[in-house]
Amino acid sequence: MQFAVETEHLGRVYRPKRASKDRGDAAVRVALDDVNLQLPRGELFGLLGPNGAGKTTLIKILTTLLSPSTGSARVAGYDVAREPERVRPRINMVSGGEASGYGLLTVRENLWMFGQFYGLSSADTNGRITELVDVVNMSDRLNTKSYELSTGLRQKMNIVRGYLSDPDVVFLDEPTLGLDVAASRDVRGFIRRWMDEDPGRTTVLTTHYMAEADDLCDRVAIINGGRLLACDSPSALKRRLRQDAIFEIETPPIDATMAGHVSLVAGVRKAAHRDGDGFATLELILEAEHVIGEVLACLQRQNVQLVKLTKREPTLEDVFVDLVGRRMAEVEGVAPSQ
Amino acid sequence: MNAGRAWRSLRAAAWLGWQIESNWTDPFLFTVYSVAKPVAAAAILVVMYAVATRGDFSSPTFAYIYLGSALYVYVGAVMTGVAFAVIDDRERYRMLRYVYVAPIDFRLYLIGRAVGRFAAATASVLITLAAGIVFFHLDIHPGAIDWPVLVLAMAIGMPMLALLGLGLGGVVMQFAQQSWSVGDAVAGTLFLISGAVFPLDILPAPLRACGFVLPITYWLELVRRALVGRTGFQTFATVGSGKLLVIFSGLTCLLAVAVVASFRWCEQRARERGLLDRTTNY
Amino acid sequence: MLPRLSKATGWQLFVRATLARMYPRVIGANRERTWVFFEVLLPCLSLTAYVLVYRSLHAPPALVSFVVVGGAMGAFWANVMWAMANQLYWEKETGNLALYIIAPMSMMAVLLGMALGGMFNAATRALAIVVVGALLFDVRFSTAHLPMLVLTCVLTMTALYGMGMLFASLFLLFGRETWHLVNLAQEPVHLCAGMYFPVKSLGVWVAAAASVIPLTLGLDAIRQLTIADGPTLGLMAVPWELLGLGFLVAIFLSSARFMLRHMERLAIAEGRLTQSRS
Repeated sequence: MQFAVETEHLGRVYRPKRASKDRGDAAVRVALDDVNLQLPRGELFGLLGPNGAGKTTLIKILTTLLSPSTGSARVAGYDVAREPERVRPRINMVSGGEASGYGLLTVRENLWMFGQFYGLSSADTNGRITELVDVVNMSDRLNTKSYELSTGLRQKMNIVRGYLSDPDVVFLDEPTLGLDVAASRDVRGFIRRWMDEDPGRTTVLTTHYMAEADDLCDRVAIINGGRLLACDSPSALKRRLRQDAIFEIETPPIDATMAGHVSLVAGVRKAAHRDGDGFATLELILEAEHVIGEVLACLQRQNVQLVKLTKREPTLEDVFVDLVGRRMAEVEGVAPSQ
Repeated sequence: MNAGRAWRSLRAAAWLGWQIESNWTDPFLFTVYSVAKPVAAAAILVVMYAVATRGDFSSPTFAYIYLGSALYVYVGAVMTGVAFAVIDDRERYRMLRYVYVAPIDFRLYLIGRAVGRFAAATASVLITLAAGIVFFHLDIHPGAIDWPVLVLAMAIGMPMLALLGLGLGGVVMQFAQQSWSVGDAVAGTLFLISGAVFPLDILPAPLRACGFVLPITYWLELVRRALVGRTGFQTFATVGSGKLLVIFSGLTCLLAVAVVASFRWCEQRARERGLLDRTTNY
Repeated sequence: MLPRLSKATGWQLFVRATLARMYPRVIGANRERTWVFFEVLLPCLSLTAYVLVYRSLHAPPALVSFVVVGGAMGAFWANVMWAMANQLYWEKETGNLALYIIAPMSMMAVLLGMALGGMFNAATRALAIVVVGALLFDVRFSTAHLPMLVLTCVLTMTALYGMGMLFASLFLLFGRETWHLVNLAQEPVHLCAGMYFPVKSLGVWVAAAASVIPLTLGLDAIRQLTIADGPTLGLMAVPWELLGLGFLVAIFLSSARFMLRHMERLAIAEGRLTQSRS
């Protein structure tokens, strides 16, 4: 069976330029390490990981913008390094926060221009533009100059650009980055509808929004530090943790050493600490439900008051914590959201 | 104006301007770049002069043209440096909006951005003058230079050019990316009416009148006189250096008032129309 | 469900892509009409300065004609360097370059579209300079050798824009130094190509070396064909200059094609096709 996307021992290493060495940057950076993927046609595949995990590097290789250092990759049956000219007519790409096109041209003119780059006739291009902008709810902005668009509308224009050429495989690199809730919902709805219309279409979506991956994707790969840690459907990934018990304990503010004490309790597989506004949360993955008693005893011995105890179903965030040992926000080095 | 804030704005902008001007390459290539352009511009006029006069470099007319061309580098560098900072920060680096909302003096920031170009221009001017002395026997002797006039002319002249740049920067804020060339284009226009390389006398009356109210005209004449005394053309033959300085200072003060007002208006208009963070990718 | 679309390939795709990339240049120039002031009127004023230098020196009138022709051709040089050589760096900074690379069209189509669109702007500027020169400075141009003049212009433009394509490819790998290198290529080239004076005043050897720039031979040939005293101040006979230009056309176009492919491969290997900010 020909896969839409296939990678075999794919790796990418960045070696610094001389100026970077002069500034004391790290000698060699491994962006991707031994990535193996097989995506059948018709799949909406998600690539989930923190910033700097290697998601964009993988997308760049698959879209022929970057050559691999090791291994191989094939898209629509063609090798991306040796046959890029055969890959390109069959793909397209949309990145989050994109500022492509020309500000002095209208939305229609920018889209028409990109349509020509894919060999579409003007009539087909204009017809396609009209249909697609209607789907993303911006038909009334076709004659607006691009520099006058808001961030959300600009990204919608980019989305339309990506689908205008009717690609077999579309690569979406954080397509909802910077969009508000309504615009993100419109974009996700568009993606799903496009996939449902033709079983031959394939989408590769990178994101660091867990809910987006959970909601949209047929399968999700979790990537961190350039390595693929897991790859399965969201439900299957969560089922890995179903035999584990997942609890959330809210307490008054505590420090990291307290979380360390808790993680040493026998039967605690993972313990992640998160500070809130006047409280702290311990997220626990336990080997068995009864372990919670030991955890509560440990807290009691440290005179930590219990505010709230919740048992919940595993999420992709929990899967990530289970694989990496920390929450995604901690890996990215930012304060985790509430 | 808060002195601390003003100094902070100027210092940060000067540092930034110098970094942008110089850190794109190694010092050798940067030196070549900084010197080659103005020296080539002067050389064009030297060749034109040689073709027209069959190489009569001993004439004081040559000194007029050569010095005017050499000194005019400051006009291009300082004036366009300020104006260019607006378009560069807005279109290329997309930082103008962040600079604008920061607690610094925006006008001094723009002026400070030109300091790097001023420094590079100074090196270019000195090298061009040295080449003139060595290869064309330009009559410049340190003992014969009128240092008080020179220092005063430069001390007023550089802020004058910065003010012109600020005024131009306000104009540039109103337009799209074509404005990349506006600094050089305006410098070219002023080249025509400032008596840089030919006397104002040969201009039509309206343009001549523009030249006589332009501070650059007096700055060039004062620096030329300070360096070599009277030169070939007689436009200001009957006007003493002291009187020229007074006229120059007065015009610069008027310029300052006009630029402050016009920049304020341009800035207000840019805010009203959302032009401070507009990018066109054209 | 949206129907599958038929897509052009081969030369049809090439033509579509060329016209599409030409579109923003032509339309953009018309939309922001300030370009007429900044790129036509103001350059005419600075050109006037050079004319007045000659007049203040009581130079022969032919030299004024030289300045006008030089200024007109200078418009094309500026366009080739700023709007061609520099352009792929600018496209990289704005994110368009990656989208161009992943599209199935040839990058040569993109460069050709940019060249044709830029030529439209430059031609307007050049025409304005010629008209101003003719009206303001009483300059007369001869059209006695019109076919030869047309051939000279075609060869010069082709060679110039071929050179621009070559530099665009080379600068694909560069960062911020691209802008400075293009900026560096203004006055020194004006000097070596004899923009405002007969290039043979620089001496035969310097002029011969400068002939690698299409502007030098093209400018000299156009002056000889349009200015009464042009042949006496010319570097060499026009047929030889046309031969030289033809040679440059072949060199630059073939080099541009080769370098574009080579640089694209190199840029993909080193990951330099997306925003560098270096």
